[in-house]
Amino acid sequence: MGVTCVSQMPVAEGKSVQQTVELLTRKLEMLGAEKQGTFCVDCETYHTAASTLGSQGQTGKLMYVMHNSEYPLSCFALFENGPCLIADTNFDVLMVKLKGFFQSAKASKIETRGTRYQYCDFLVKVGTVTMGPSARGISVEVEYGPCVVASDCWSLLLEFLQSFLGSHTPGAPAVFGNRHDAVYGPADTMVQYMELFNKIRKQQQVPVAGIR
Amino acid sequence: MADVINVSVNLEAFSQAISAIQALRSSVSRVFDCLKDGMRNKETLEGREKAFIAHFQDNLHSVNRDLNELERLSNLVGKPSENHPLHNSGLLSLDPVQDKTPLYSQLLQAYKWSNKLQYHAGLASGLLNQQSLKRSANQMGVSAKRRPKAQPTTLVLPPQYVDDVISRIDRMFPEMSIHLSRPNGTSAMLLVTLGKVLKVIVVMRSLFIDRTIVKGYNENVYTEDGKLDIWSKSNYQVFQKVTDHATTALLHYQLPQMPDVVVRSFMTWLRSYIKLFQAPCQRCGKFLQDGLPPTWRDFRTLEAFHDTCRQ
Ligand SMILES: [Zn+2]
Repeated sequence: MGVTCVSQMPVAEGKSVQQTVELLTRKLEMLGAEKQGTFCVDCETYHTAASTLGSQGQTGKLMYVMHNSEYPLSCFALFENGPCLIADTNFDVLMVKLKGFFQSAKASKIETRGTRYQYCDFLVKVGTVTMGPSARGISVEVEYGPCVVASDCWSLLLEFLQSFLGSHTPGAPAVFGNRHDAVYGPADTMVQYMELFNKIRKQQQVPVAGIR
Repeated sequence: MADVINVSVNLEAFSQAISAIQALRSSVSRVFDCLKDGMRNKETLEGREKAFIAHFQDNLHSVNRDLNELERLSNLVGKPSENHPLHNSGLLSLDPVQDKTPLYSQLLQAYKWSNKLQYHAGLASGLLNQQSLKRSANQMGVSAKRRPKAQPTTLVLPPQYVDDVISRIDRMFPEMSIHLSRPNGTSAMLLVTLGKVLKVIVVMRSLFIDRTIVKGYNENVYTEDGKLDIWSKSNYQVFQKVTDHATTALLHYQLPQMPDVVVRSFMTWLRSYIKLFQAPCQRCGKFLQDGLPPTWRDFRTLEAFHDTCRQ
C-alpha cells in the first residue's frame, strides 16, 4: 500500500450529504477517475470494564476495534495515542470473551461506506459516515500507491487533493509527522479514520433525511 | 521567352558549327590529297615546285580559316550542360529510350541516396564527437590501467572484474544499495534499491546492461521460486514510465570501449530518482500531470521534467 490521507469534506451549504457526495464524485469522474467497486471502514468503541480499574480513581482507556474492506482478513485494535494491533478477524470473537475487561459502548458503532475510484496511481474513496441511522458527514481518503514514505509525497498528494477538493483541502495528517522517513502502513490509515470518527462524533448531528 | 530564344540561337550555332567541322575536315583532307599527289603536270621542275608550294599554302590557309571559324562558333555554342546540377550526366535525361535504359532515373536515385548518406553521416559524426568529449570528461577518477583496451574483450570480462566495478559503484552512492547475483551462469543480475523510493532489476551481459525493470519500493521483485522476476512490469504507471525512460537511458549512455563508465553514468542518472515524488517539474513547476509526477530526468543536468514537458 501507499501513503494515504484521510480527511473530512464539509457538507456543501444548502445541500444534503448525498448531494455533496454526488458533486464530489462527479468532479472525480470529470478528472478521469474510474469507479472500482465499493469500500467500508467501521469502528466500535470499548471501555475498560469498571471491575478492572484500580481504586485510585483511574479513568478507563478507550479501545477502538476497526475493520477495513481493503484488508478483509484483518481486524485492527487501537488505543487513542496508543499502539495499534493488527490481528485476524477472529479477534472479534476474542473481544466477546474479554467482556470482563472490555465492554462495548452502547450504540457506538460508526462507519463509512462509499465508492472507490482509481485515477492513475491514486485510489480515492469517498464515503458517507453514518452512526446508527443518521448520516454524520463525508470522508475522503486518497492513497498514492507508488510511494511509501509520507513526507516524500505530501506535496504531490496536496496538489492532487486541491484538484478536486479545492478550498476544502486538508492539512497534513498528524500521523505523517510522527516518524520522519518510516514506511507508511495500514495502521497509519486506521489511526486517521479513528481520529476522523472521533471528530465527527463530537460534531452536531445532521438530519436523517440527508442519508438518501 | 528568353530561354526559348537562347535555345534557338544555340541550335543555329550548333548547325553552323557542324558545317564548320565538315568544312575543316574537307580542307584537311585536301591538304593530304595535295601531299599525296605531289608535283606533276608541269614542264619545268621549277614550275612544278612553285605550283605545288602555292597549292599547299592555299590548302593550309583554308585549314587555318576553317579552324578559326570553328573556334568562333564553338564560343557561340557555349557549354550547354553547365547549368545542370548533374553536369553532363544530365544529358542522359535526353535519351529517348527510357524504358530500355532507365539510367537517368537510377542515377537520380543514387544521387539522392548518397546525399542522404552524407547528411546522416554528418549527424552521426556530430553525435560521436559529443561522446568523445564526454568520455574525456569522465576519464578523471577512473583508474586507466583497469580499463580494457580492445573492444572484443569487453564481452568476456572476468566476473571478478564485473564484481569490482559494481561494488565500487555501490560504495559511491550511500542511498543506493546494489545486490549482485548470478542465477544463470556468468551473467550478473543486479537488484538496485534506491532509498525508499524504488527498486530496479538490471540484467547484465558482462558489463553491458541488457534490460532494466523499475518497480516500487513496496512491490515484489521475486518470482514464486525466489528468483529475480525479470519479466513482469510494475503495477504502478509511474514506474512503468520510469522503466521506459531507463531503457532510453541505456541507449543514450553508450561507450562500447568503456563499459564500466557506461554503468557508472547510468547509475548516476538513476540515482536522481531519489526525489521522484519530491521534485516538481522544472518546466511547469507542478508535481502532477495526468496523475504522474515528473518521471523524466535530463541525461546531462539530471533535472526533473514531466514526460511531455521535456524539450
Ligand atoms: Zn511539467
